[in-house]
Amino acid sequence: MARQDTLIFGCGALGHEVAMQLSERGIQVYLYSNNLDEVGGLLAKGLQAAVIDYTDDEKLLGIGIGKWVKTIFCLFSEEPKNLFLTLSARALDPDLKIVCVAESIESSERLLAAGATKVIDPYEISGQRVHEMIARPYLVEMLENTVFGKHIDIAEIEIPDSSVLAGMALSDLELNKKYDLIVLGVVDLEMGNQLIFTNSGVDHHLDAGDILVVIGGKQEIERLKQGVLAASGEP
Amino acid sequence: MSFAQKIIKYCYTLEGSTRYKGLKGAVYNLLQNPRAPIRPYFDIFMILLVLLSVWLLIYEVKHDLGLWGDLIEVGAVTIFIIEYLLRFWLYNDSHKVIIERYERAEFINETFRLGPALSSAIVGKLRYMIQPLAIIDLLAIIPSYRPLRFLRIFLLFRLFKLFRYTRSISEFVKVLSEKRIELVTLFIFMAFITFTAATAIFFFEAEHDEGQIDGFFDSIYWALVTMSTVGYGDITPQTTEGRVISLVLIIAGLGVISFFTSIIVSAFGEKIHEIRAHRVFSEVERKQVDTLVCGFGRVGQVVADRLSEDKRSFVVVDPLEENIRLAKQRGYLAVMGNGEDNSLLVSMGIETRINRLLCLTGDDVVNVYITLIARQMNPDIEIISRANHRENVNKLHRAGASHCVAPYEVFGLIAAEYAGQPVAFEAVYGLLTRQTSEGIEAVRIKRDSSLVGKQMGEIDFLARKLIPFGIIRDGCCDSEIDNSCFNLNERCFYFNPGEGFTLQANDLLVLIGHEYSVIHLRDCLERGEL
Repeated sequence: MARQDTLIFGCGALGHEVAMQLSERGIQVYLYSNNLDEVGGLLAKGLQAAVIDYTDDEKLLGIGIGKWVKTIFCLFSEEPKNLFLTLSARALDPDLKIVCVAESIESSERLLAAGATKVIDPYEISGQRVHEMIARPYLVEMLENTVFGKHIDIAEIEIPDSSVLAGMALSDLELNKKYDLIVLGVVDLEMGNQLIFTNSGVDHHLDAGDILVVIGGKQEIERLKQGVLAASGEP
Repeated sequence: MSFAQKIIKYCYTLEGSTRYKGLKGAVYNLLQNPRAPIRPYFDIFMILLVLLSVWLLIYEVKHDLGLWGDLIEVGAVTIFIIEYLLRFWLYNDSHKVIIERYERAEFINETFRLGPALSSAIVGKLRYMIQPLAIIDLLAIIPSYRPLRFLRIFLLFRLFKLFRYTRSISEFVKVLSEKRIELVTLFIFMAFITFTAATAIFFFEAEHDEGQIDGFFDSIYWALVTMSTVGYGDITPQTTEGRVISLVLIIAGLGVISFFTSIIVSAFGEKIHEIRAHRVFSEVERKQVDTLVCGFGRVGQVVADRLSEDKRSFVVVDPLEENIRLAKQRGYLAVMGNGEDNSLLVSMGIETRINRLLCLTGDDVVNVYITLIARQMNPDIEIISRANHRENVNKLHRAGASHCVAPYEVFGLIAAEYAGQPVAFEAVYGLLTRQTSEGIEAVRIKRDSSLVGKQMGEIDFLARKLIPFGIIRDGCCDSEIDNSCFNLNERCFYFNPGEGFTLQANDLLVLIGHEYSVIHLRDCLERGEL
């Protein structure tokens, strides 16, 4: 068994969906569930899945939680299961990223209290999407055709050591002229992992290790990555 | 030309006359069409008129009306008479009856005889006259005729005219009329008891020296007063036999009263949902609601909350009482029912007023079904459907949905982004949900805006804390302006427009920024300070 650093618990429709999206992005995942039928269904679809008793900490350790696993998704359809798993996993690894599904505001509060890193409420988001479609139809149409229609990507690019970009101000980059890209912002890991938006008014000075968040066509992003790498070798 | 031929010719002239039809349509709108905008005003006017004339009747008992009172009375009666005649005229088309008779006679080669045709037309009108409401109308008018002054008490029938103009009274009558069988049974039972008791008390008391009953009317009066548990006590049984009859009658009376109460209560209990639904329908009509939300689950609730924040009007349909209660608590218009119910959708105005339907139930089969029937009823309506399973998105589109939202897919998108690019995630999340204060916004460039004809490079967006994201413009892509251009439906999107990009009127400027920055920009544009 390969050591996957991303695990999904819960093999329902939601687990399936997330697994598909992740594999589209080139991230291999392993799915776990305590329900044999669900696991069987996913195996038939060609996904990697296995049955596990998630209530047993030994088993969780056995699949790498607390060791090499970096992210887990708790996608059981029952909230108590997610809560239990979140608590167990958090106890095993304080740095683990735990993403949970919640079906109400109260349940998302509980999950956060239990130690989840991120709680996503699919119904809340869908409701907002529907409202967006009504309130701002053109924007939604545009986003669906570009950003979510795979024409335009959002990508993060780390500035390598000794890059020429280091030391430059964010406003000096002018990526929207040199490349067909828009810089949304930058994350300075030394200042916490908050995204500093380009338009925040702070003209951030880049240094090595910062992460640029850019939006644009796939080829342009590739070109920038190449450019950043190539530039890093020069003095 | 014989008389009959003249009549037939006249009938055909009427049939072909647009003016006649227009006039009749106008009268129909005024008097009968429940959806006509003028109806509520007419109803309120008539209610006030009825109340005024009844008040005059009360006033007249002790005072002299004087000239003005008489004039008002005459005016009211004139309006009542005109209304009666108009309704009489509106009830059916006599000329159509005659034409039908004539054409049938022609068809089977018989000679047309005017007599039977006229009489069937008259029978049609008579049928109107024997309707309860028409009789009430007539009785409200007749006593005003001086020689029939003794019928003055019938002027009270004017109050019954209120049935016509108020929906709640007519609903009450409708509810009771559905319990006709029970009420008739009760009435027969009551008549039987009254009659038996009255006969018995008459038999024992009328003969007795101290008996207070003088005639059979007295005994009927006594029986009803006792049975209804009112018991005035002006006539009391004096003999032991009479008292025994009273005892029996009182117990029977209790039964009758409780039976009666239970009929009324159950009738309203059964009908209360319908009555409430009708209330909502008229509210929906009055407020010109244009959005129908089917399903008040989690997604429906979020959408409804947002819509009400935007001050948009909408109405909720859900089969669960619990959800409806929740919707009403939040002050939304809500009807309990199934979205699959054809007639419910029609009463909501899906064919006319509603121009947006949201199918947000948790069941894809229901969503597809509602989408399909709504699309058939109204080809122009905008339908947004929820697809709980990815494979149903296609089915929904085929059924006629304009847009689909798949909760799990959106979830997957966000979750996958979080696993792969946790930093970029915040940006994506913000774009998708607008929960972060930074978001994507669009600003419409108006025809008279100072931005028309300007180049992108001339505007300092960064100073306004905004990032230009792109331009949405009507029409097809012009790849010479900018090479990263995407075709949308009937519109196109220029991503990251260069400095030389010239803005046109009606463009949508898409910006990334804090909502306040965007509001500020809009404000500046409105005042022309850019």
